Formats: sequence, C-alpha cells, structure tokens
Amino acid sequence: MNVTLAVKQYISKMIESSGPGMKVLLMDKETTSIVSMVYTQSEILQKEVYLFERIDSQNRDNMKHLKAICFLRPTKENVENLIQELRRPKYSVYFIYFSNVISKSEVKALAEADEQEVVAEVQEFYGDFIAVNPHLFSLNLQGVARGRSWEPTVLPRVTQGLTSVLLSLKKCPMIRYQLSSDMAKRLAESVKQIITKEYELFDFRKTEVPPLLLILDRSDDAITPLLNQWTYQAMVHELLCLNNNRIDLSRVPGINKDLKEVVLSAENDEFYANNLYLNFGEIGTNIKNLMEDFQKKRPKGQQKLESITDMKAFVDNYPQFKKMSGTVSKHVTVVGELSRLVSERQLMEVSEVEQELACQNDHSNAQQNVRRLLQNPRVSELDAVRLVMLYALRYERHSSSILSSLMEELNRRGVSEKYRKIVQAMIDYGGKRVRGSDLITPTDAVAITKQFFKGLKGVENVYTQHQPLLHDTLDQLIKGRLKDSQFPYLGPSSLRDRPQDIIVFIIGGATYEEALTVYNLNRTMPGVRIVLGGTTIHNTKRSGIFTLYFIQNGMRSDSHSSLEWCYMKSNQCACMSPSSQSSTLKRRREYSVEAKICFHLPLFSLFLSITCMLIITFVYLHYL
Amino acid sequence: MASGYPPPFEGSAEVKEGFLCPLCLKDLQSFYQLQDHYEEEHSGDNRHVGGQIKSLVQKAIKAKDKLLKRDGDERTETSYESFYYGGVDPYMWEPQELGATRSHLDLFKKHRAARIDHYVIEVNKRIIRLEKLTSFDRTNMDAGKIRALEKSVVPWVSDQDVPFCPDCGGKFNIRNRRHHCRLCGSIMCRKCMEFVPLPLAYKLTSSTREALCVPGSPGKGGSPGAGGPVVQQLPRRGSISSLSSVSSVLEEKDEDRIRCCSHCMDALLRHQHKLEEKDHVPDIVKLYERLRMCMEKVDERAPEYIRMAESLNAGETTYNLETAGGLRLEVQKYYEHIDALSKKILTLGLKDEVQPHPKTLQLQRMVRYSATLFVQEKLLGLMSLPTKEKYEELKEKRREEQEKRIQQERQAALEAQKRRSEMEKNRPILSANGDAPRLAQGPRMTKAGGWLPSSDAVHSRSRELDDPLLQQINNIESFLRQARAANRTDEIAMLEENLRQLQDEFDAQQTSRAIELSQRLAEEESLQQSQLQYLEQRELESKLHTRERSLDFGEEKNVEEHGVTGSNSREDLNVSPVLSPLLKTQSIKSFPRLPGNSPPLQRDERTPTPPAGETLNSSTSASLNPFDEDATPIEEDPTNPFSEEIQKEHGQASSRKNKEYNPFEDKEDQEREGKESGPRNPFEDDVDNDDKGNPFKETSNQTPAASTNPFDEDDDGPAVDDIIEEELLLQQIDNIRAYIFDAKLSGRTDEVELLSQNLRELQSTLQEQKRKTH
Repeated sequence: MNVTLAVKQYISKMIESSGPGMKVLLMDKETTSIVSMVYTQSEILQKEVYLFERIDSQNRDNMKHLKAICFLRPTKENVENLIQELRRPKYSVYFIYFSNVISKSEVKALAEADEQEVVAEVQEFYGDFIAVNPHLFSLNLQGVARGRSWEPTVLPRVTQGLTSVLLSLKKCPMIRYQLSSDMAKRLAESVKQIITKEYELFDFRKTEVPPLLLILDRSDDAITPLLNQWTYQAMVHELLCLNNNRIDLSRVPGINKDLKEVVLSAENDEFYANNLYLNFGEIGTNIKNLMEDFQKKRPKGQQKLESITDMKAFVDNYPQFKKMSGTVSKHVTVVGELSRLVSERQLMEVSEVEQELACQNDHSNAQQNVRRLLQNPRVSELDAVRLVMLYALRYERHSSSILSSLMEELNRRGVSEKYRKIVQAMIDYGGKRVRGSDLITPTDAVAITKQFFKGLKGVENVYTQHQPLLHDTLDQLIKGRLKDSQFPYLGPSSLRDRPQDIIVFIIGGATYEEALTVYNLNRTMPGVRIVLGGTTIHNTKRSGIFTLYFIQNGMRSDSHSSLEWCYMKSNQCACMSPSSQSSTLKRRREYSVEAKICFHLPLFSLFLSITCMLIITFVYLHYL
Repeated sequence: MASGYPPPFEGSAEVKEGFLCPLCLKDLQSFYQLQDHYEEEHSGDNRHVGGQIKSLVQKAIKAKDKLLKRDGDERTETSYESFYYGGVDPYMWEPQELGATRSHLDLFKKHRAARIDHYVIEVNKRIIRLEKLTSFDRTNMDAGKIRALEKSVVPWVSDQDVPFCPDCGGKFNIRNRRHHCRLCGSIMCRKCMEFVPLPLAYKLTSSTREALCVPGSPGKGGSPGAGGPVVQQLPRRGSISSLSSVSSVLEEKDEDRIRCCSHCMDALLRHQHKLEEKDHVPDIVKLYERLRMCMEKVDERAPEYIRMAESLNAGETTYNLETAGGLRLEVQKYYEHIDALSKKILTLGLKDEVQPHPKTLQLQRMVRYSATLFVQEKLLGLMSLPTKEKYEELKEKRREEQEKRIQQERQAALEAQKRRSEMEKNRPILSANGDAPRLAQGPRMTKAGGWLPSSDAVHSRSRELDDPLLQQINNIESFLRQARAANRTDEIAMLEENLRQLQDEFDAQQTSRAIELSQRLAEEESLQQSQLQYLEQRELESKLHTRERSLDFGEEKNVEEHGVTGSNSREDLNVSPVLSPLLKTQSIKSFPRLPGNSPPLQRDERTPTPPAGETLNSSTSASLNPFDEDATPIEEDPTNPFSEEIQKEHGQASSRKNKEYNPFEDKEDQEREGKESGPRNPFEDDVDNDDKGNPFKETSNQTPAASTNPFDEDDDGPAVDDIIEEELLLQQIDNIRAYIFDAKLSGRTDEVELLSQNLRELQSTLQEQKRKTH
C-alpha cells in the first residue's frame, strides 16, 4: 500500500532490467515529476543513469553508447515523438515503458517505426501518479471542474491516474462514492468501466476483505483548505509552496546562493522525515537541538589540531560533519523563513481565529474577532479574504450574520472586487446547499456526545484543534458505520466486513492536514491501511481552491496569477533579523500556553463538574 | 539514541516500550521489522554457544558505536518514538511486490518482424544494385554507355507516368527536368535528387559483401544477365537525352557519384551508420568500463576491510593488523584509479578542435560526478586502523573487560556453588582423591583446555557427541554468513534449514543430558547417606574448596605475567557459554540467582577437567595439599614450549588470519578430548607431541603477530614505533587530500583552507619523523 515504494519499484525495475552500462532516461513532462518524487539524482546516478532527457527536446545528440529507458505517459504526442525517435534512433537500445494502458494500434505504429530493431522492451508500468508520501499521492491537476461537473479533458486523466494507483498497488477494489457529488459518481463509474474493460489486468489474488476505493468531493469540506496549518510539511507547502518535493527559496531576503532551491524529501532527509508531522513549536525545539549538535561537532576554525589524535578525530568526524552541515543549513533556512512569514503575516492570531471559527460555536465572539483582524493592517489581503470566507461558510444561515458588513470591511481595506467575489463563489462551491454531510454542526446524538467529550479533554493546542471532516468519514468507514445512503456502493455488492485497505480519493484536491489525519489513523488503527489521494495537494495561493472558483465563475486564470503575483510582492517587502526570528519562536510557545490556559480553564471546570455528577448518578443507579 | 541502546552489561533500569528485540533491546518500530531483525540477527546466535558471546561482544561494540557516533540524532529520534502508538506508520508498511505490469513486446515484435523483413529486403536490393553500378570503371566509359548500364540494373519508371515530382510536387517541364534514381528507378526533380559518392558506395558494398559473405561479386562476371544487356541498350541513350543534351552533359557529370532519390539515400546512410557503429567503441565506453570494474572491486573489498578495521579497533584478535593495512592500501589504490579514470572521462574530447555536443559533455560531467559521489561515500566510510601500540592497548582493554566479565560470572558461579556445597561435597568422595581440587577449579580449567571430559564416562561421551554438533553449527553459520554476503538466497534458505535441524538436535541432547544429570544428582543424594563414614574427610575438603578458589585467582595472575593471558581471555570466551545455556533467555546477571532449576548449569561447572599442569600435579602428588606445588609446574613447565612457540610465532604469525583458526581450534579440542578422556594425564602427552595436542601451542596460535608477547616487543619496539607513526601520517595525509579535493569540488573555500593547513602540518610532522629515524 506504499505508493512511493510502488513507483520506486517500478523505476528500479526499469533500470535493472536494462542491464549494465551507461543509461539515459527519456521522459515527458509529467513522468519527470513522477520520477523526481521518488528518486534523487545521486540515487539514480548510482544506478548508472547519467542523463535525463525530455522526449520532446530537440537538442539531443547521437549517443550510441547509451541505453535509453523511456518512461512516458501514453499520450498521442508522446507516441508520435517516440515514433520519430525510433525512425532515427539516437541511442543503442530502447526500453520503452508506458505509465498506463496503451492501445494495440499505437504499439503497431511504434513497431513499424522500429526498422533498426533498437527496441528491446515494450511494457506498461503503472506509475501514472505523483507519490508524495507513502500514504499520499497527487495527480497535479488543477481546475478539474467546470461548474459542478468535470472538465471533459480532465476526467480521462483522473481515471487513468486512479486506475494506475490501483494497479501499482495490485488492488481491485469495491467502489464507494459520495452521493451528493455528481463528479464523484462520474469518476466512480469511469474507474469501474476501466476495471471491467481491463479485467485481465485487475485479476489479482483475492484477499479476504476486498480493498475499498472511496471517492469524495472537496466541496463537502471546503473549510479544511482554508485553514492555516502548523505541521512542518503543511506549513512549507502553504507558505513556501512545495512542488514535487522542491521549494523555491529565491524570494527569501538575503538567501544564500546554494539554497535558492531546496529539496525536501522524506526519503533521504532524516530530519525532515522525523519532523514532517510535528508542529511548528516542536520543530523549533528540534532545530535548536540540531544546531547545538552541529555546533558541537563543528571543528573550530581557530583551534589547531595539535596532536595526531586530534587530527584523527577531525578526519573521522569530517564526513558526518559535512553531511550534517547541509541538513542544518537547509532546515534552519526553511524554518527561519517560515517563522519570518508567520510573524510578518501575524499568522498566529489569524490561525487562532480561523480555528475558533471552524471549531467553536460562538457567533458573537467569532464576529468580533474577525472584525478585529480585518482592521489589523498587518494581516495580509489573502488571509483577510480567507477569514471572511470561513465566516461565510460557518455562519451561512445564522440569523444575525454580519457577512455583508464584513464584506464592506473588505472593501474598505481596499481588497479588490475580484477577491470579494470569491467569497460568494466559495459559498456556492462549499455552502450548505451543496454539502452532503453536515460539516459544521453535529446533528446526531453520537456526534454531540463526542464533541462533548472532546471538550472535556481540553484542546491540546489551540492552533491544531480542527479535525478535518475526512477523519470522521474514515473513522466511520473503518468501524463499518458509514451510511450507505450518503456513500453508496457502485454496483450491487457491498462490503460486509470492516475494510482493511482503503484508498481515498478527493476530487478537487487533498490537503496536508488530511494527510496528517490519514497518517495518524494509520498509526492508531491496527490492521487498517489508508492511502489518500487527490487531484492536487492544496495550498491556498498556488493551486486548488482558488483556481476552482475562478473557473467556476468563468474568470480567466490570469486573474489568478495576478493574485499570486501581488502575494509574492507582499512576501518580498519585509525583512527580519535572526534574533527576532528566535524570539518569534519563543513568543509563539508562550502564547500557546497562555491561550490554552485562558481558553480552557472555565470550560474544563464546568465539564468536570458535570462528569462528576454523571458518574455519581451512574454509581448510584448501579447500586440500586 | 543513546538511551535507546543501553550497554547490555551495565543494566540500566530504563523502561522501554514498542517493538523491542528481546535480545538486543533495539526498538524496531514495527512487527515486520522486528521479525526480520530477529530472523536475521538472532536466529542462530542464541543457541550456539560460541555465538552467544560473540553477539554480546558485537552488541557492546554496537552500543559503543551508537553512543559515540549517533549522539546527534538522539533527540529527534526520541521525539519521533514518543510520537508512536499502536497501528503501523505508513513508512513501516511491509514490503510489497512490484505493481502490475503488462508487456506488449510480443505484439510489438510481431509487427516489427513483418516490417523488418520488408526493410531488410529493400536495403539489400539497393546494396546489390549499388554494387552493380559501381562494378565497372566509370571514369573511362562513355556517358551513354554508363547510362545504359545503369538502366539495366533497375527498370526506370517511364517519364509519361510522372508529371509531378513525387517528393516536392513541382511540375516537370523543360527547366525542371526529370531525374531517375539509379537505385530504385523512380523519378524526382533536381532539388530532391541526391548523390552517392563513389567512396561511400564502395564502402557500403564491400562491408556488405563481408557481412553477407556473398561469394565473388555478382556485378562483374557473376551475373551475365546484368552484363549482357549493356551493349544492346547502348543506343537508347540518345533518344532520352536528345532534347537538352548540352545542358544535360554539363550537369550530369556522374563520374564519381551515383544519383539517387532521397529515400534510397536515406536508407543507405542509415545502413552505413549501423555498420559503422557495429564495431566502433568510443573512448568513453572503454574508460567507463574500466571505471566500473574498479568500482566493483571496491564494493567487493571495502566491506571486508571495514569488517576487519571494526574488529581491530575493538581490540579483537580475529584479524591481522598487517593484512588489514594491506587491504586498505589496495582499496585506496582503487580509489585513485577511479578518480583518475573519471577525470579522464571528464576531460574527454575537450582538447579537440570541434567541441563535443553539450549533451556529451553533460554525460561526462555526470559520470565524473557519480564517481566522486562514490568515492566520497565509500572512502569517507573507511575508518583508519589503530597503530600497533594502540592496537595493543585496545586488546588489553578488551581483555580486561572480558576478564571482568568472567570474574563476574565466576563470582556468580561461585555463589551458586556455595549454595549447593552440600551436593558438591559428595562428589569428590566418589572419585579419586586428586579430583577434589579439580572440581573447585572447574571454571578455570575449561578455559585452558576447552571442555574436558569429566570423570564420568557417560558425560564424556555425550560431550564428544556434543562437540561435533556445535562444530557443525559453527561451520554452517559461517557458510551462512558467506552466502549472505554473496546474496545467494537459495543457499541461505538451505543452510538455514540445516542449521535449524542441527540446533534442534543440539537442544534435544541438552535436555536429555539435563534429565540424566538430575537423575545422577538424585543418586548422589542417596549415596551421601551411605557415606557418612567419610564425614570428616569431607569437611576437610570443603574447607579446601574455599581456600583453593582464592588460589585459583592468584594463579591466574601468575599466568598472566607469563604473557599467556591474551589467549587466556580468548579461551575464557568458551567458559561462559558452557555456563550459560540459560543465557539464551536470560541476562547474565539474573542467571546465578537460579541455581536450583538449572541442571545443565551444575553439570557444566562440575565437569571440566583441570589444565594439564594441575592434573599432573594432582594425580602425581595425590596429596590433599596441592597449593605450594600447584604454582610451580605452571611456572616451570610452560617455559619450555613457550620459548619454542615464541620463536615459531615470529616467523608465522604475520601471515596468519584468525578466520582459519576456528575450525582448527575445534579440531584440537576434539583431539584433546579424545585423548584426555582416555588417559588422565594429558599434560605429559601434550609435551610429547607438542605439535597438535598442546594447549599452549594453541594459545600462541591464537594470538596474532603483534600480540601479547612481551618478549619480542622489546627488541624491535622503537623502530616499529616510528614506522607506524609514518604510516598513520601517510594515511591521514591521503584522507585529507581526498577531503580537500571534495571541498574544492563543492566550492567551500574556507574548508579547503583549513584542510590544507592541516595537510601542511601533517607533512611537516612527517618530515620531522623521518629526520628522527635517520
């Protein structure tokens, strides 16, 4: 069920079966990112792959001493390019792998082009998706919807991506989908169609409990992508934009030349792997420790190495030191930049109000807070709009909704017309009318008690109190309580046992918060394995939800890019000294402790007394 | 990390949870990992007596390594662990098989085959025609004649059929004339026309002739059909080019070339490329192949070296310092090769006038880069060897550690023995007088002589049975290790199966012996009752017990002074395993507390026979007072074999590797057992044939060249000293150079400076050293 490993194994297999000798990897745009997510350059170099070429690049030399491994999506252009390539082969042997099902006629066309008999292998290896984490994949597709239905060109691609995930994991699943979404239904049907058509491919060893594919629609939970996140991976993605495990730091003021672009991959960066899901405060501590360790190991520039033993110690420690220095400088830069952005945009305050909006049910308090923040000039335009959107979604039908006055407030702040329109678009996209399950207020008794007990325990961290809807959905699914009326099975058969292997796919994109939820579910639920996927991985500025709204409203996507642009500009303005960075970190921690106490003392004591009473009553009843 | 790996000997009171390995307390995060780990690391070791100590030692080393090196990861690791509860981390999901695949190769080949046949035929046809066209002397022949000849090779398409150029679509007229391809007969315009220069044509035909092994040349005399019509068709030439003969003569100077259409030209050129490439190996490939060969060699040798260096650095005597040094030099030489070769690849073609294609350069850069990565990764992992003195120190330290441990064990055994003193007292009475001291010295005996058979015939026989089994297990384990190293899974499986069977057998024996032993104990208990008349004597002996034990230790110190200790400690290894079938499941410390329910333990303590000297002593003197005499034979007797041994050792030791010792040792053990179970006086035997059976000889074998012998060290001490210093210096200089290179490559100038300063210092030290020696 490990998607990263699945892709990696495919690639390794390709490389291995081509035998020894120098190799070149011929890819297209999409497969390039697929490969780069699972293999680093140095890793793949060790396997004698020395060149990486795009099949559509014209600037390629004849190198008959190289073997070519072609990993391509089976698109028309690729096949056409490949035919041209085979007519005039530049390399000695070609091993051709398509990332998805290819038609017989295309195979024939290729065969007829291969007059020089250079092709040694033609295979389908179903690595047609981007594996982000072992339990998280993405298709890097944006703007999948037109209104409430599929963009016609995108549906086939999503179907291909999803079936390739199934094939690479060797799962032939039962399919459930979200009834309220037409897109989910269409996708489910189209996946089913492929499974039926390629029944030979999907003929895997039957497991006792068949795997399950659950198809959801983002519109059911539009709130999650609007929240600021505090785990490392999510923050990096939200604030610095993680793209194929790479972040672009060139906008950071005073950045070192080497660190303009940084690769963050859990595969070979231990610190990153260990801290992916830790929150910002913990990362602050960890990075401090890392620094201290580093300082300890660092050979002092002035200190003379007097004796042979000193020398030897230095030499022995050198490789470690070198490796460490790379990691340290990378993460210190990244975390420093994150903390700079956090303080610059006052994300602490913003996030607190966001979380309150999402989790508490206190309208008057919420409206005050939102209003206060809107008046704060340091809160960025984007965050302001986001807050209003959250408010709109949360108190959509509240009797004393102040949405209109908030909109005015936005107007006064000078937020442009376009952004203000987004708020309405958001309500259209993820408002009550659309939602299948109830996102905000729990209705049934079980949910109410659950929330009650959650309150009883106290919130561990005000910034991370929000649980995405996905958590409940999956929890119910695992316990076999997910309602068939809301999430029907496709086809007549249904699952009687509790599911074990679950693949969740969210149309409209998943978030790292949901990835964290799935990760924690995997760790806490014995015997259950869940893989999460989405058409993309959201962050508010680059991908996903905004694009979606623009397309829905018939806006051109260039308005989107202008949004991005002005955001970038705001990033570049301020600059911060390292000392204030660390103080931010500290301040943040103090703040969170304070907040916790003032938030929960009254609540907690109230709940405590109630529980005491309950317990007493129970005991009493029991003795009667 | 440090907290995660408590040194097994100090017994931390730390509480750990998670998937811990029961033997080494390593946290393995998931069930699958734990299982794998257990199968890999502990499947064999725990049962096997020698392996137990070895694994303990390994653990100690591991723990030390972890403490020293991985300090930095400690906090992140622990915080990670604290995050861990229940379920399975997605990173730890069990390995999965390769995803689904589907091959289209068959279909592809089917289609290609059809196409290729056609293609090959076409090309061959063209080549044959070309051959015919070039078979005659073009320069000295009349143009018309040539044309006729050309026409005879392939039928020309008639002019009327082709009003437009098929390639460019231009209309043919007087200005835009028709031209025929001489190879396929088709018509094209002038723009679309190409020429095959004669040299190329010759090359093509000749290579094809060779390739196809066509006998003779069909063009010359072989095909009269082609040669015949030449004369007949001669007159027709005029009719064709009569209209514009002037211009045609001017432009159609076809003496050194053959005109053809672009398609034919294309096919021919491709054919030619193919022929050229067939036997052309570019320089880069040659260099690259050599580079890979060196890398493979390094991959092969480096782990071996690291194993050696680790063992040597831990003060083990398994490997020889010099062989390790030699291996290090060899590996380093390979690194130099790799460096040089990759440099050559990098600069390949740079001096040529025509700069290579950027992609070629990129390829070269990448090859170089990967070679540097390889060198960095592997070379920096090469730990340095200890100097000779350091090695001595290490060994000493290690021995002390072991000594301490064994002391502890003995203490434990002692306690256990005290508790059973009643039972113990019975035994000496049963057997001969002289057995009394032997019993008391039990644990120590073993270490000098392996496990000698006890006074009971039954015991000794089972022992003998036992030993080959262990030996077998030992052997199989070493095979297994080799097989693992060579990645031969099938063999591994077979061996493991084998091993399991053997171990089961061994277990069965152990239990049966235990049962036997308990029966014997019961018997003895009853005998005790019947032997009340010996009560006084018994009391006397019980006193003797305690006193002699103290002597035991003192004596050991004596022995150490004689420089046998190195071997002693090695032998000591054998003691604890004998003591501890229990160890399989319990820690060393817990073991002495459970004497009552451990029959094998009792047996083990009782059974060993004394080392040669003491047996001799006890049997000859037969007195109850062996103390004063006890020491003397040890002191005197060894001198004789020792001096011999030392001399021999000087000659041999350097070439020896300890790997080979193991079976040898076993054999000796066996032999001795065979001998000693019969005659009760092995020492004399040993002296007689000191070739094999002599335990002292064995001990000297075990200590490798630069070992504990204080005698030889003194002679050539200082000289060796200097050499070592130089060696180390040279090593370090090598390393530093590598680092400098590396730092330069990645452009860290400050580091380069620091490093080169170090280098200078080192070099000056080296020179001083040299001056001193001369």
